[in-house]
Amino acid sequence: MQKNDTQKELEKLGMSEQKEEKDPNYWRSFKELFQDKSLLELKRHEFGEGVTEDFDPSNLKGISRRKFLTLVGASAALAAAGCSEYRNKGDIVPYNKMPEDVVVGNSNYYASTSTACRTGCGVLIKTREGRPIKVDGNPDHPISKGKTCAKCQASILSLYDPERLQEPMKKTQNGSFINTTWKVVDDDIIDLLSKAEGRQIAVITHTINSPTTKKVLDDFAEKYPGVKIYSYELFDEHLRDSAWRKCYGSGSFPILKWNEAKIIVGLEADFLGSEGDKVETARLFSEGREVNNLDKFNRLYVIEGNMTITGMNADYRIRLRPDAQYEFVMSLLNEISKHGVSIPANISLRSFNLESFSAKHNVSIKKLNHLIKDLLENRGKSIVYAGRTLPEKVHIAVNLLNEVLGNTELYRKDVSIHNVISLSSYDDFSNLTQQIKNGEVAVVIHFDSNPVFHLPKELDYENALKKVPCVISLTGNKNESSLNSNFVLPINHDFESWGDFKTRTGFYSMQQPVIDPIFNSRQKEAILLNWINGKPVYYDPMVYHKYLKQNWQQNIYPTTKSKLSFNEFWNAGLHDGVIFIDESVSGSTTFNTDALSVLDQEKSDNSTYVLLLREGYQSGDGRFLNNGWMLELPHPVSKVTWDNYAAISNSTAKALNVKSNDVISINTPGTNLKIPVFIQPGAADNTIAIELGFGRKVVGVVGEGVGFDAIPLMSYSNSHSPWIISASNILKTDENYKLVSTIDHHMMEEVREKNIAEKRKIIQEGTVKEYKRNSKFLSKKNEKNNLSIYNEHDYPGVKWGMVVDLNKCIGCGECVVACVAENNIPVVGKDQVAVSREMQWLRVDRYYSGSIDDPKVSNELMLCQQCDNAPCENVCPVAATTHSPDGLNQMVYNRCVGTRYCSNNCPYKVRRFNFFNYRDHFKNGYQQSNLLSLVYNPEVTVRSRGVMEKCTFCIQRIMEARSEAIKEHRPLKGSDVTTACQDACNTNAIKFGDINDKESEFYKFREHELGYYVLEDLNTKPNVTYIAKLRNTDAEEI
Amino acid sequence: MTNDYSVDMVIVEGNPKLRDIDEAVIAPIEKKASKKYFIALSITGTLLMIGAVCITLTFYYGIGLWGNNIPNAWAFAITNFVFWIGIGHAGTLISAILYLLRQHWRNGVARFAEAMTIFAVMCAGIFPIIHTGRPWLAGYLLPYPNQHSIWPNFVSPLVWDVFAVSTYFTVSLIFWYIGLIPDFATLRDKAVTKAKKFIYSFFSLGWRHSNRHWRHYEKVYMILAGIATPLVLSVHTVVSWDFAASIIPGWHSTIFPPYFVAGAIFSGFAMVSTVLIFVRKIFNMEHIITLNHIEKMNQVILLTGSMVGYAYIIEWFMAWYSGSTFELFETVHRAFGIYGWAYWLMVSCNVIFPQLFWLKKVRRSIPITLAIVILVNVGMWFERFVIIVSSLSQDFLPTSWAAFVPTIYDFGILLGSFGLFFTLILLFAKTLPVISISELKGVMRDAQPTHQGVDHE
Amino acid sequence: MSNNQKQLYAIGALFDSPDKIIYAANKIREAGFVNYDVNTPYPIHGMDKAMGLKSSKIGYVTLFAGFFGASFILSFMWWTLSVSYPLVIGGKPYFPLPAFVPITFEFTVLSAVVSTAIALIAVAFNFPYNSHPLHDSYYMKNVSSDKFGIVIEAIDEKFKKEDTENLLKSLGAYFTELIYKPEEKTFKIFEPKFLAFLLIIALITSGSTYVTLNKLMYMPPFDFMLHQNRGNAQAKSNFFYNTREMRNPVKGTVAQGYIPYPFNATDSTEYFADPLLPTMEVLRLGQKKFLTFCSPCHGNYADGNSRLQGQFPPGPTLHSQQVINYSDGKIYNIITNGQNVMPSYARQINSNERWAIINYIRVLQRAQNPKPEDFSAIKEIKKENDDNASN
Repeated sequence: MQKNDTQKELEKLGMSEQKEEKDPNYWRSFKELFQDKSLLELKRHEFGEGVTEDFDPSNLKGISRRKFLTLVGASAALAAAGCSEYRNKGDIVPYNKMPEDVVVGNSNYYASTSTACRTGCGVLIKTREGRPIKVDGNPDHPISKGKTCAKCQASILSLYDPERLQEPMKKTQNGSFINTTWKVVDDDIIDLLSKAEGRQIAVITHTINSPTTKKVLDDFAEKYPGVKIYSYELFDEHLRDSAWRKCYGSGSFPILKWNEAKIIVGLEADFLGSEGDKVETARLFSEGREVNNLDKFNRLYVIEGNMTITGMNADYRIRLRPDAQYEFVMSLLNEISKHGVSIPANISLRSFNLESFSAKHNVSIKKLNHLIKDLLENRGKSIVYAGRTLPEKVHIAVNLLNEVLGNTELYRKDVSIHNVISLSSYDDFSNLTQQIKNGEVAVVIHFDSNPVFHLPKELDYENALKKVPCVISLTGNKNESSLNSNFVLPINHDFESWGDFKTRTGFYSMQQPVIDPIFNSRQKEAILLNWINGKPVYYDPMVYHKYLKQNWQQNIYPTTKSKLSFNEFWNAGLHDGVIFIDESVSGSTTFNTDALSVLDQEKSDNSTYVLLLREGYQSGDGRFLNNGWMLELPHPVSKVTWDNYAAISNSTAKALNVKSNDVISINTPGTNLKIPVFIQPGAADNTIAIELGFGRKVVGVVGEGVGFDAIPLMSYSNSHSPWIISASNILKTDENYKLVSTIDHHMMEEVREKNIAEKRKIIQEGTVKEYKRNSKFLSKKNEKNNLSIYNEHDYPGVKWGMVVDLNKCIGCGECVVACVAENNIPVVGKDQVAVSREMQWLRVDRYYSGSIDDPKVSNELMLCQQCDNAPCENVCPVAATTHSPDGLNQMVYNRCVGTRYCSNNCPYKVRRFNFFNYRDHFKNGYQQSNLLSLVYNPEVTVRSRGVMEKCTFCIQRIMEARSEAIKEHRPLKGSDVTTACQDACNTNAIKFGDINDKESEFYKFREHELGYYVLEDLNTKPNVTYIAKLRNTDAEEI
Repeated sequence: MTNDYSVDMVIVEGNPKLRDIDEAVIAPIEKKASKKYFIALSITGTLLMIGAVCITLTFYYGIGLWGNNIPNAWAFAITNFVFWIGIGHAGTLISAILYLLRQHWRNGVARFAEAMTIFAVMCAGIFPIIHTGRPWLAGYLLPYPNQHSIWPNFVSPLVWDVFAVSTYFTVSLIFWYIGLIPDFATLRDKAVTKAKKFIYSFFSLGWRHSNRHWRHYEKVYMILAGIATPLVLSVHTVVSWDFAASIIPGWHSTIFPPYFVAGAIFSGFAMVSTVLIFVRKIFNMEHIITLNHIEKMNQVILLTGSMVGYAYIIEWFMAWYSGSTFELFETVHRAFGIYGWAYWLMVSCNVIFPQLFWLKKVRRSIPITLAIVILVNVGMWFERFVIIVSSLSQDFLPTSWAAFVPTIYDFGILLGSFGLFFTLILLFAKTLPVISISELKGVMRDAQPTHQGVDHE
Repeated sequence: MSNNQKQLYAIGALFDSPDKIIYAANKIREAGFVNYDVNTPYPIHGMDKAMGLKSSKIGYVTLFAGFFGASFILSFMWWTLSVSYPLVIGGKPYFPLPAFVPITFEFTVLSAVVSTAIALIAVAFNFPYNSHPLHDSYYMKNVSSDKFGIVIEAIDEKFKKEDTENLLKSLGAYFTELIYKPEEKTFKIFEPKFLAFLLIIALITSGSTYVTLNKLMYMPPFDFMLHQNRGNAQAKSNFFYNTREMRNPVKGTVAQGYIPYPFNATDSTEYFADPLLPTMEVLRLGQKKFLTFCSPCHGNYADGNSRLQGQFPPGPTLHSQQVINYSDGKIYNIITNGQNVMPSYARQINSNERWAIINYIRVLQRAQNPKPEDFSAIKEIKKENDDNASN
């Protein structure tokens, strides 16, 4: 009403003012005429009241603008008091004395040697400010040639394992361990050793590949006469080598020229996966899979009882129970003898016949004839290779086969395996246990070995150990053996150790530490040295370093006839990681036919079950069972993680009336094992394949309850071989155990279409013949680039792209671990994999096609395709994933809100989401421990929960290369950058480079006529090209 | 009872006096709440609490508590979101479109439907926020100048959602409030206690039923109704684009917008009648919310239900006609795959049962209607579930397929949303006029002048 | 207002049927009243005509607001995605119009509706005032329920208390009421209640602000991944006893590219040869490092013209015959181990760079006493340097 009133008054005033100069007789209203009081009163003021008064908020009416502002101002002023300075963001701790070879923020590389397996590959360990963070291959190393295996990559995680032993421990009367000091244990042990006179001091170790370690042991034996060295491996080559010695007199099975073979026949041999020097074999094998050199293309036959990596890559695969391999080889011999190949007279092949064999094991005779044909046509250019688990006589027969076919051409004469100490035999160990039982053993030293877990049950080693007065375990982590020891001494990890290795003739491989011992541990050799030196006054951390150097200076350096002074020689050796020497290889090559006497007429019995024990891909011989990276690596074939299982064929499952995840109990004389079943397509009937190295009783929190221990099933006193046992009875139990895999089998079974991958143009394949006939056969999807209503953005300068050559990719999954190590990808644990929340950015998709009994396997590396028209980018509401000028599909973690829409819209489903803070969630914060967090790459963000992540083509490496290029005033080239997966890939299947660089080697593959994009019809324009797999089969499919 | 469609239906039965309308509508507000009311409130309150607990735990531990995974990155949360948004549609439809169509029978139910719209949208609005991995950053979706100097991606359907839903909520709220102003004034003048009087006079903005205001008021109401009509159709269209604009087989489909809108109205009406059937009983308003209302709404349900059924059929046709192996596989898998049971549940609830409404007896029988509309609600929830989960669980690469298994947290939050919805409904029914007094009076018998009085002198 | 005596606001009359009110409204208008109003519980058809009111113009607000909203949001989206922060998203252009349509529509509706509603409230109800003399009157209570009323304001010029009342009665009003203006109430802003209220608000705001900015923002997961669970350069370690995350390389190890220097300052290193060729890259590198590390003492041209102006014993010239006669190995040794007052530069300059510097020094030395064939070469280097400088 205020408004109305003032209006009224003002209008009257206005009128009355006019009235002053106008004639007073004019009047507008009665009030005016009668000179109303109120009007006169009003005339005094120029304005209505409340307008001219001084500002006093209290007198303002109701809610006025002024009062409103007053209130806002007041409260805002008071609120502002709340904002104060930010908290400090932590301290900076610089070097107080800068080391000469460290530049803060830059990486250093140290050449060293990995002892993850017997091969002893050379590695370059990447360190940041003196902390190892990644393992790469050493290009100078003659075996690994710059490549690494998954175990090698993962061994760095074991270095930072918070559960490593930190102090020497001593067992008390009540059987519990107490921490003590090195002084105490040294004194005690030296007493015990010196008191051992007469009785034996057994040192049990794995393979010794280090000459200097051998010298230490010799000195040790010299000092303490009772010392006897026992060495073993869970899986060794003793059958193959003894067969070799029988056939050729001496030495060990030679190294093969895989790259020169035209025909490769693998008998129960997983030489691409878990056998021999796998890194080298895979590389050489893949040289025979070069699409640009079809003449070198090799053909792989695999005859095996269970699907292995090698089997996945076979051109012709025959499933055969392992105990029928002998029959098979003999039948082959018989068959080729019919084709005029002369077979020594002193074996009778009469009872073996290929037809009857194929009928008995219903193996396609076509395939067999094809094999015969190939073998006969490619004499001297083919390899028949028997797996190490096969009985001796199979190896002898195979040696004969190679001999008569002239395949000895492919045996390398220039270099051979070098065993520093040959492994002890089974009898040695049974003697040992016998002597222990007789009380003839005073001390048992587990020299970084775990015999209680590894030795077969029939030796009954564990109980025997109880009779030994003093058991000493030198080990990095607690294990079954250390539990049964009186002294447990923590030893250095490889990356904290000095050493020299000789696994082959012709070179030494050097090992140097990259970090000082993290815990109060000592190098195992140094511990012995301490004991040799008698009562030590103090321990010199460099003692073994000095010893090693001295040994080289005195014994090895002179033999090398090097021009350099020893110091330079030594430093050069450490720098390069390898020291070459010229050695000639001796050894006769004349085949000794007497060996053939062992070849009998034995035939397998199809009806019974046979157990096939194989080395685990993930856990090795069990020493990687506390390593999350390895356990979460999907099994290359079954994609099962965090477990092992009994793999059986479909029909066997029907016979046993079991499904996957049902538990069966396997009963062999003396032991029985309950283990879940996994139906493995392509497995041989009545064959039960189990991987060893799982199910350890004493292991860290990570490996607890992972898998089932099948080692007790091993048996030497068995007709076949320690790893091939005929199992009397297999029973179905009513238990059930959930195996988790990264490929949801339940859903795959849901599929009603056969060969869906081919139908959907996910996998595109052909045969070599086809390709030779028509190089454009791969219906080149030519309607490229013309599907978009928008015109494309152009990417001047470098545009990153990748090529995956499916001819070379063997599906081993080593790239996956490399990626995990490089990109700080957390381990999520079995429970999360079970709900398909694994975090690996890179996965190997495995597709079966054809029948379940005889499937074709196609592997396909699947990672972010960095699409030009990325569907994920369109739907991200906050522009957290966008395109970079060099064609990368970027992921901005800190912008990500976590709607997960991008993952929905990604046709390749390569995006990964942090449903939890997995570093906290997995084994309640195991990965957050101050120690383990040191393994993470400082160049890569550690993602928090609720954030989407994915492969970025190792953007941190791209950035590093770019800054280098800028520093050196040169343009960035595609070849400047290699991705982590590419570095690791044993077979060079992954190629990375600049799409715009038409000259580059990479471009040849990018525009290869066999190249295709996955789901190309969606027009996402991926930057990852796949080179279609060519199967080296004859056109008519078998 | 019979009714003859040739004459306009009776809106208010038994021709009560204007003042009786006041009494009838204001009674539940003035009277002390009955035991029944508090029992109902405690039930819904418990559900609400369950939801609150689950959401808090989710905030603390992360989305991992839910069943979501890769590929099923969306599941319950988004299902609930779409479901509730759909529920919201009946309100605006009744109050806006029927207003423009001069459907006077709407007056009985309009206010309630609008309220339900608002509450439903509130329930819906929760989910997009809590389903994100880092809900505290949800503000990134709004275009505000920030230190990253980066803006939302206006190309993303989720940003369209933000605009559509917030617009829809704001407009519905304004529409509802404008309608409430005269009733607030009435309440104000009826209020006895000081507190109530203060509140009501605050919200009535000093409304005086002045005709100089009525003429602006009616104009504005007409304009809002006019604008809200395309809006209500656009909102669910935009929501459907969340799916249609993506490339996932089973989502990437042009029929989604009309299909979703029809479904939304369908489920909305179902929910409205579900609630009204109870309200008219509890607050004995049978004479205001009459059987005719129920029947009219059943007719709408029958219509929209059939449209939804048509959409289901078309999906099969398109799957075959498109020739896309992915589409075909997806459609087949939807019906016969691991989520087949959900599909057939959805079809029977949404298409088959509503067909009973062809029978007048069924349309006018309260218990059967109640049963069917509840089934429709269930069916529509499952429709969204089927669309989202069964499409995601088996998309392009067979190796990345995985099933979705909900956890108790998923169910807890779903219950919580229902708890929130019905709690709000109950509170609304107790504090505000559930029926637009002024509108109702306006359409009562001899409420309007006969214009004889003007001429005689 | 200031004077206490109650002022008459208006006379209100109540009728009990819509017909009567229409009739009455007509009459009042014909009688020439201006400041009058009709209050009815619901809008009565034909009342606008009876009162002679034009139809509302409020629709224009909607129209303009709608246009404004549409044009604003469209240009805003264009500005954000193509001008302010252009990003390549899914291979789409910076201004994909079709994708902007939905938001444009929604925002148009939003702005239209909101502004219309505000217009209604602000204009019609002259917001924020919502008190009115009519309120709480018997008249009001009835018209808001079921009666129909006419109110004639006292300010109307035709208004005469008695006459008007009679007029209304004659038109069929069954009841009339005199309505007075209420007292204007003002409330004091500095009263304790209000201040307390302000204080509480302030405490809450400031408290929450403080907690958010200084506590919450540093607490995972709210800390924008500030806390990185990994070993950063120069970070503090909670694990190692000396709290340093950075370790020293193990004694005796050899990193790639860091062959340890085998000599001491005193060793003769005559045969220690220079592995690098004096290529342009090497010389550039050498120049860069020389100017960075050597020139402060030895002068930019190695002529001993120190930049330190005697704050430090000036470095000798490197053009002396003695230095020219030095072997490369010797100079390398000096850089590595230092000499006299010159400290070791091993940590600042890696071996490659040392050799590069030596190459550069040789160039400088030769520049002092050039051979004839050098001039062309020097020209060339100059030219290239200029090129470098230019680009």
